[in-house]
Amino acid sequence: MTLHLTEPRTGGAPVHSPESRKPVPRKSQRGSRPGGSSIDVQRKKLLIPFVGPAFVLYTVLFIVPALGAVWISLHKWAGSGPMKFVGLDNYGRIFRDQLFLSSFGNTLLLLFVVGTAIFVLAFALTLVLRDMAGKKIARNVIFFPHLINALVFGVLAGFIFNPGGMVNTLLAPLGVTDPPKWLAQDNIFPLIMVTLVCTTTGYFTTILMAGVDRIPPYYYEDCALAGASAFQRLRYVILPLTWDVFGTCAVLWTISSVKIFEIVWVFGGSSGAGVPPTQSWTAAVYTYVNAFSGQSTPAYGAATASAVLSLALISVLVVLLRRAMRRDAVEF
Amino acid sequence: MSEHKLLAPLTTRRRAGRGVSPALRGERSILRGIGVTLLWMVVAISIAALVWMVAQAFRDTRAILDDPWGVPTSLDFGNFVRAWTVGDFAVATWNSLLTTVVSSVLTVAIAAPCSYYLSRVDNKLTQGLSLYFILGLGIPAQVILIPLFVMLNKVYLTDSIIGLNLVYIGVSMPFTVFLLTAFFRSLPLEMEEAAALDGTTAFGTFWRITLPLAKGGILTAFILQVISHWNETLLALTLLQSTEKYTLPVALISFVQQQTYSGADWGGLFAGLVIVVLPMLIIYVWLGRRLTEGLTLGMGK
Repeated sequence: MTLHLTEPRTGGAPVHSPESRKPVPRKSQRGSRPGGSSIDVQRKKLLIPFVGPAFVLYTVLFIVPALGAVWISLHKWAGSGPMKFVGLDNYGRIFRDQLFLSSFGNTLLLLFVVGTAIFVLAFALTLVLRDMAGKKIARNVIFFPHLINALVFGVLAGFIFNPGGMVNTLLAPLGVTDPPKWLAQDNIFPLIMVTLVCTTTGYFTTILMAGVDRIPPYYYEDCALAGASAFQRLRYVILPLTWDVFGTCAVLWTISSVKIFEIVWVFGGSSGAGVPPTQSWTAAVYTYVNAFSGQSTPAYGAATASAVLSLALISVLVVLLRRAMRRDAVEF
Repeated sequence: MSEHKLLAPLTTRRRAGRGVSPALRGERSILRGIGVTLLWMVVAISIAALVWMVAQAFRDTRAILDDPWGVPTSLDFGNFVRAWTVGDFAVATWNSLLTTVVSSVLTVAIAAPCSYYLSRVDNKLTQGLSLYFILGLGIPAQVILIPLFVMLNKVYLTDSIIGLNLVYIGVSMPFTVFLLTAFFRSLPLEMEEAAALDGTTAFGTFWRITLPLAKGGILTAFILQVISHWNETLLALTLLQSTEKYTLPVALISFVQQQTYSGADWGGLFAGLVIVVLPMLIIYVWLGRRLTEGLTLGMGK
């Protein structure tokens, strides 16, 4: 973990050479911690003014609500009026709630199925891009969707998959006279999954590329000299050397997939009530609807219980991933 | 895009021999050819989709529905005017702009000194604090949604741009502190030490030496915040209730939902999408390299 934190930004700070006029640099590495030099002592006094504001804002607006969520999830509460302590009852309740199970199942689908698809594709793209002409252009283009609000894709999908929309007009000349009802309630979620694969792969490709680009070229030359096949090169050079980047990407996807909300919310236009069909709900949508949709009495307890479970899912997976991906770091 | 075009620059490059051995120029297998072709198709489709979306924003709904492949015949801003006035996008754009800029500036301004401290002082406390900040990276927004709403409601900060700004600042702390700490660590210490020897105070070295050196990293952090705050939807949707407070994503959602009653105004909708996407495109074209670098560095945790 820290290995990456301290990774120097190449190209970012070309500071070394121009400053060669000053006297021989003291042999003080960053870790020089005798605590003696006056600048260090002075610096330590900056704790409150420097760290204070960030610490307070972060604690009050992030950590306290997160702890509050755990607290609320142990209560039966409609948002106003008295809170009734019910212990773990809410958790039991949502596990008996068919709606929650399917929402949580959808989140798991996003996490694992979409995740796998993204990784396979991103890795394939990385291998293709690695020594391709015009790789910068291609990489820049496929990265861009990451910067667009997922709402946009949801709305566009509504247009493209309309009964009289573009997909069907494209399919008509191919002899498909009876195209599937793309936006039927049962079909929306698979479509969302496909859309997510399309829009997210580029981002992970960019990260993987950064890892692959770090591999020094002489490894490949070695491979060529040793007569390694393309597969062997992949198996014994590229994969081991990008393993940690894979781990990072997996953690990133775990975290970001669990909060997927807006694309589900508007996908294919809304269904009138302002709430998407239940078949396409994710855990995040479940939380939001249960608390704020105004359709029934808000069930803050159940809603936060669902959110806390998502957090638990993330924590468990991140710990597992860290363990599974841990290998002897290959220094190069 | 044909194979020919793709291979041509490759061969010339190899001949030019930019210090790359032939061994690196991969094997020309069929599989690879297919991959390359597919990739360029994806690239072409992505660009085409973007251009198409912008083009549709200049056509009226009837024309769009009749022929979705068509191009605008004239530069008609009618859709934008309608989205701007009827769809409340004018107010929403202003709110989004204000929120994005204010919260991003403040986020960076608050996170930078903190990151500096965490990167320069190395003891048990700062290690603990760093971990404490990183923890937030893993907490999804829906967890804090309800408690945040309850808390802000108590102090009358729901349905308020100020409240939303505060929330964005708090929520952005983990990532920004994390990114900037990594960045400050990568800066050399020599100049700070020289300044300290010359009698500059600790604050002075930060203000006059490190900050100017760190301009690049700080700008990157700022831009990344601009992007995430411009696109943030869930928190804004929860915390804002009245139309005149809506940010763009919320306005877009309400615009979409109005259409289930009033019939689809695709022209206006496309105009709305363009208003959401275009600023991101401009930023990306302008500062793209810095962005991808920042993201890949910051995310390399």
